[in-house]
Amino acid sequence: MNKTVYIIIALALIVVIGIIFAGGAGSTQGVEIKDGVQYIKIDALGGYSPQVTEAKGGMPTKLVVATNGTYDCSASLVIPSISFRKILPQTGETEIDLGIFKTGETLKGLCGMGMYSFQINFN
Amino acid sequence: MLKTYTFHVSGTYCASCKILIEDILNEQEFVKNARVNLKKETVEIETDGEKNPEELAELLTSKVKPNGYTLSVEKIIPARSATQRDAGGEENKKDDVVWKAIPIGLVFLALFFMLQKSGILSFGIGGKTTPATSFIVGLIASVSSCLAIVGGLVLSLSAKISQDNVSDTKTFLLFHVGRLVSFAVLGGVLGIIGNAIGINFTFTAILGLLASIVMLMLGLNLVGVLAKNKIALPSELFNFFRKIEHKTFTPLVIGFGTFFLPCGFTQSMQIVALSSGSFTSGMSIMFAFALGTLPMLALLSFGSSSFAHGKHAPLFFKSAGVVVIGLGLFALLAGLAGLGIINPLFSI
Repeated sequence: MNKTVYIIIALALIVVIGIIFAGGAGSTQGVEIKDGVQYIKIDALGGYSPQVTEAKGGMPTKLVVATNGTYDCSASLVIPSISFRKILPQTGETEIDLGIFKTGETLKGLCGMGMYSFQINFN
Repeated sequence: MLKTYTFHVSGTYCASCKILIEDILNEQEFVKNARVNLKKETVEIETDGEKNPEELAELLTSKVKPNGYTLSVEKIIPARSATQRDAGGEENKKDDVVWKAIPIGLVFLALFFMLQKSGILSFGIGGKTTPATSFIVGLIASVSSCLAIVGGLVLSLSAKISQDNVSDTKTFLLFHVGRLVSFAVLGGVLGIIGNAIGINFTFTAILGLLASIVMLMLGLNLVGVLAKNKIALPSELFNFFRKIEHKTFTPLVIGFGTFFLPCGFTQSMQIVALSSGSFTSGMSIMFAFALGTLPMLALLSFGSSSFAHGKHAPLFFKSAGVVVIGLGLFALLAGLAGLGIINPLFSI
């Protein structure tokens, strides 16, 4: 086989890897309002689910991260903008007070190694 | 009185070989000064001995032979030894190998990331953590995204060590023993200390960044970008290679260092060891975890060694280089994101 064929194969593979890395669509599941407080639930097991959450801005918000026998990276949660860094218990729910986010703001969280992430959009 | 001889030396094609050969030769009593010329592949020796050049060449060869180098009065053209020939001439053939290696490396990268994305590996393990469950967690960890950093590092170092023809089996054994022992001991220590200390995020993250930079450098070196023109690596890294190749101690230390590399699984297990409350339970948990990661890591190191001595060695080194560069980039970007320096670029 000649060089051109290899280059074409290589480019095709780069596209495949690019697709693997592309993120998912937004979701409102896991958002619940109780007694004037917005609770956003995210599951942490082999990544964060949902990856993108649409929430309401301008109201007190709490993030609930649920682990369920989680040993992978998603248990080591980092939210840079609020300086939150913690290794979550293997199984359980961790409540994090986010305060009030303005409409239009976003919150990004990721695992300690940086390979899993999630995003919350406040609209 | 001092006499100066010049010998041809075969097998030297990298900056670290130069240092290694000079070190070994300078250790000999009758050698006053040894200087390797990488470009000419010669070594200049100042000696006060009474030996003739042939005897000297034979004697010195016996010292550097275990590391794969040969000294001779006449220039010898190596009959076999694909890596050396590859590093030398044969530009066309070499180009071909690079183009073949890129798709091969990318296939492995794509398979690896697909495996991560598939979710096969993300099942929860409930109940109390026992040594048996830690072993299973170790097995999963060894094929998880942690492989990007720990495995990538092992693959790059192994391929590099095998390429340099250093007694690789011994080095790998030391690395794995160092890893198992330090996991056991550090696990035990965490068990005693209890919840008093936490494992520092920033420290592990920085160590991870360093590891990914080493991977990128070694990857480029394996592919041949750095080795091609025999560009010397920065001196700190230079010394680092020299240590890996030359000392018994270093593989043990690198094995020890893997305890602190960023890997979610390792960190979770460290927390379990912390809360286990005793030296024995902390030790058995971390040891079982390290044992679980052993098959995959052993496969990577001893696998590279067997490929490195086979006839597809040049292709293997270059493909491994592509894989390592990919994993290194991934780990670097992820590490920077983890530190909050850049936005997460991707999510698998």
